[in-house]
Amino acid sequence: MSFRSGSTREHETSDQSTGRSASPPVPESSETEAEGLIFYHMDLYGSKDRFDIFPEELSGQGDRSRGDTRRESALSSEKFQRSQEARYDLEREVAELAKMYGLDEDREKELELLGGHLEMVESRWPPAHTEKQQGLPGEASLDEDQSKAIAEDETESHVWSREGLSSSVMSDEWNSQAVSEEEEVANVFCSTCKMPIRAFDKLFGEHKDHEVAQLPSAMESEKEEIHKNMCKLEEQIAQMENFASHLEEIFITVEENFGRQEQNFEVHYNDAVQVLAQKYEEQLEALGEEKRQKLEALYGQLVDCGKHLDACKELTDATQELYLENDKASFMKVKSFNWLEEFLKKEVDLKLSTLPDFEERVIDFSEVEQLMNSINTIPAPCAPVINPQAPNAATGTSLRVCWGLFSDDTVECYQLCYKPVSNERRNGEQAEHTLKVKETYCTIANLLPNTQYEFWVSALNASGISPPSERAVYVTAPSPPTIKSKKIRSCENAALVCWESRDINPVDSYMVELSKLTDEENGNNITESIVGIPNCEVLIHLQPMQSYRICVRALNLGGSSERSEPVLIHTTGTYFCLNEDTAHPLLAILDDGFTIACDELENPECDLPVYDNSFTRCIGILGSLIPFPGKHYWEVEAEEDTEYRIGVAFENTPRHGYLGANNSSWCMRHIITPSRHKYEFLHSGMTPDIRITIPPRRIGILLDYENCRLSFFNAEIAQHLYTFTLHFQHYVHPCFALETPGILQIHTGIAIPRWTALP
Amino acid sequence: MALKQVSSNKCFEGFQKVFEHDSAELKCKMKFGIYLPPKAETGKCPVLYWLSGLTCTEQNFITKAGFHQAAAQHGLIVVAPDTSPRGCNIEGEDESWDFGTGAGFYVDATEDPWKTNYRMYSYIKDELPKLINANFPTDPERMSIFGHSMGGHGALILALKNPGKYKSVSAFAPICNPMQCQWGKKALGGYLGSDVSKWEAYDATQLVKSYPDSHLDILIDQGKDDQFLSAGQLLPDNFIAACTEQKIPVVFRLQQGYDHSYFFIATFINDHIKHHAKYLNA
Repeated sequence: MSFRSGSTREHETSDQSTGRSASPPVPESSETEAEGLIFYHMDLYGSKDRFDIFPEELSGQGDRSRGDTRRESALSSEKFQRSQEARYDLEREVAELAKMYGLDEDREKELELLGGHLEMVESRWPPAHTEKQQGLPGEASLDEDQSKAIAEDETESHVWSREGLSSSVMSDEWNSQAVSEEEEVANVFCSTCKMPIRAFDKLFGEHKDHEVAQLPSAMESEKEEIHKNMCKLEEQIAQMENFASHLEEIFITVEENFGRQEQNFEVHYNDAVQVLAQKYEEQLEALGEEKRQKLEALYGQLVDCGKHLDACKELTDATQELYLENDKASFMKVKSFNWLEEFLKKEVDLKLSTLPDFEERVIDFSEVEQLMNSINTIPAPCAPVINPQAPNAATGTSLRVCWGLFSDDTVECYQLCYKPVSNERRNGEQAEHTLKVKETYCTIANLLPNTQYEFWVSALNASGISPPSERAVYVTAPSPPTIKSKKIRSCENAALVCWESRDINPVDSYMVELSKLTDEENGNNITESIVGIPNCEVLIHLQPMQSYRICVRALNLGGSSERSEPVLIHTTGTYFCLNEDTAHPLLAILDDGFTIACDELENPECDLPVYDNSFTRCIGILGSLIPFPGKHYWEVEAEEDTEYRIGVAFENTPRHGYLGANNSSWCMRHIITPSRHKYEFLHSGMTPDIRITIPPRRIGILLDYENCRLSFFNAEIAQHLYTFTLHFQHYVHPCFALETPGILQIHTGIAIPRWTALP
Repeated sequence: MALKQVSSNKCFEGFQKVFEHDSAELKCKMKFGIYLPPKAETGKCPVLYWLSGLTCTEQNFITKAGFHQAAAQHGLIVVAPDTSPRGCNIEGEDESWDFGTGAGFYVDATEDPWKTNYRMYSYIKDELPKLINANFPTDPERMSIFGHSMGGHGALILALKNPGKYKSVSAFAPICNPMQCQWGKKALGGYLGSDVSKWEAYDATQLVKSYPDSHLDILIDQGKDDQFLSAGQLLPDNFIAACTEQKIPVVFRLQQGYDHSYFFIATFINDHIKHHAKYLNA
């Protein structure tokens, strides 16, 4: 016992240092026992105070285990001390348990019951120890005492802990016994008597003819035996602990179940009693009524009887008077004889109008019967509570709906109903769908995107169906938007991306995800997200000379849509598109979207469609440039003999005028005079006089908001042609016009050439 | 070839200096102005040669054109030589303003008495660059040339006669076709003799016709109210036509209301400096 150490680890090391010679099994078992005890209490009663008991001992015992002084006398005193400690522990334990039980008197009975049961189980193993105790007599008293002490200690503590009974008498007993035995030293083991004896006894005492063994070797074998038994004990302890916790669970369950059933009974019997009381009232009332009617009838009859009696008496009197009349004539005149005769002719009704006994009534007990029958069946559940939509519980085509049950009702399954919410079509009632679900959640698929659905749920069991829950409206996530890839405009530092929603219903917002593409990666990692975009358009700031993959998601309450088809954006140069709405009717845009052509200047049929925004005079078109400061460069390819006007214009430049002829456009014009190619750089109809010896076939146009310049170049030979210096009040757009039949090819996405930096 | 500093003035963080030296080519003392931009203190800079017009010395351009700021900004060394040998005691050298002193016409004279000293073509082409490169932090590989009037003519012929030598060329109101104008006929006849075929070697319009297919971006500014334009001394149309024919890239800007003066030059000098800086700093 004195070898108990603070922790298993510590114990192991001390075990190794001392070797397995003397008595390692003892500390091991006591260690386990201690742990087992703590564990048991913790588990069952959750009292953390139990820890306090052992550390106090450990501090002292650590010293002892370190010292190798296993003198028996020391041991005996230690043992005594230990036994007292153990007692103290047990007493505290008992007190505590008693206190705990005292707190909950209602449970007392159950606990007693439980305790009793446990005791029964436990009683399986203490006898084994008794046997062992008997097998360890005489000279092995030390070890026997130790093991006995452990066994008893264990037994008692278990019993007490479960039973809450104090059996300190028992521990007192063995304490005194141990002390007395310790006083005489035994050195030989008598195999016959199975006890240690003094050598003196072997020679002269009662063991004279018995077989004996040396005490150490006997002790070895006995210790092994003890160790085995200790292991068994450990197993049993573990088993018991499991069983105890299991019982605890059962205990709780029983309490719950019975509580519920009590409630159930109360409700049902109350109902039945109420029904019976009601029946009783009804019956009583009916009976009273019948009685009243009968009495009334009898009374009526009695009154009639009286009247009849009076009439008879009157007649008798009248007849008597007549009888006494002496005047014959007057006597005979009186017709009252006839009158009397008539009266007598009437029969007197002497039948009872009603019977004194009451009617047989059939009492209907079927309702009560039903009530009584239903007592033993479970009640129909209460209405479940449907949860509001959780974030990210929706996709474009599915919804995850959750609900719960407030009561402890037994539910076999739930019936989930839903239908789309529609404000418009009242007449064509939307089809309801019903599902049976075991769980308290369900994922419904095959729904329409960005659509509201109404859900309600009922709980079912054998007794019936609950009322439906409140209706909850869930909404599916939107469909992924479609990026208008042909409408994307970008430059070195930004991109303007627009898209269209594929949903009829409006969405809350959009989210743009962009990933920078590098050579190694394939761009799946999102480097940036822009959220909360209210419109179908966003200007994204980017880094020059990179490639980006851009996706859009639509968001509503239900969540976000899948990603749109991605688009790639290269921030090499400026990309723009042509604004077809502005195109003159005679101007054609070829399939590539960047080649404009004019076949004839006059149209024989003058009924070409003219849009509000299109050029009417100048056969021109505007581009849609990203509204972003910085530099923008593009090129226009033209045949040498093509006459054109190219440059920039405000978005609202007059559609009925010529480009460059007003103060809202700046352009380079190429015309062919009989003598030469003529180049004009027009703004407000004015041009400098400039001659260019080589007709440029590829014109570079640099729009530089930062340096307030618009420059034209012969891109093929990097020749600067002309620069407008101007302060742009607004953003401008590229403009293109043909003056004679021909073709202009527009090139975008060109990195700004270095030679454009200076004229 | 010792250089003698005549003057030095700080200008836009650089220095405008004038040096004098003994010219081997011209066999006389010659002065030239040189602007050293601030960048020249730390590194090698390209050199832009400016050739002045009739009657000018090295002083006109450096005092009147206002090129310093742009040159400082683009880190260009600008060298402005004199327009002819001086003090050579040649008979008749000071007789007229359009021949002799101040009117070297950037040719190597073949006729007596001019052939000894009047070798401005070689001076500009060889001696001066060698001198400049030897004494200043220049990048010999990067040089350009421009000029005004007779200097415009000089710039054009030097560029056209030496393909690849100059990165770029530009001119203000250049004498484009000297064979066809009074100034040219007088000067070329005087310096080269009466054989007109010899003149062609110093006529920009003629030289264009034999210019090889080498890239040269030519910028020309011309005042529309230039009295010498209307007097038929400059004849830019002939040059433009020849360049158009020969596909030599020229941007010719006829500037409304400007005359032949340095006021005109000062107005467009920045454009020209930028034009050269584009090629010199490329």
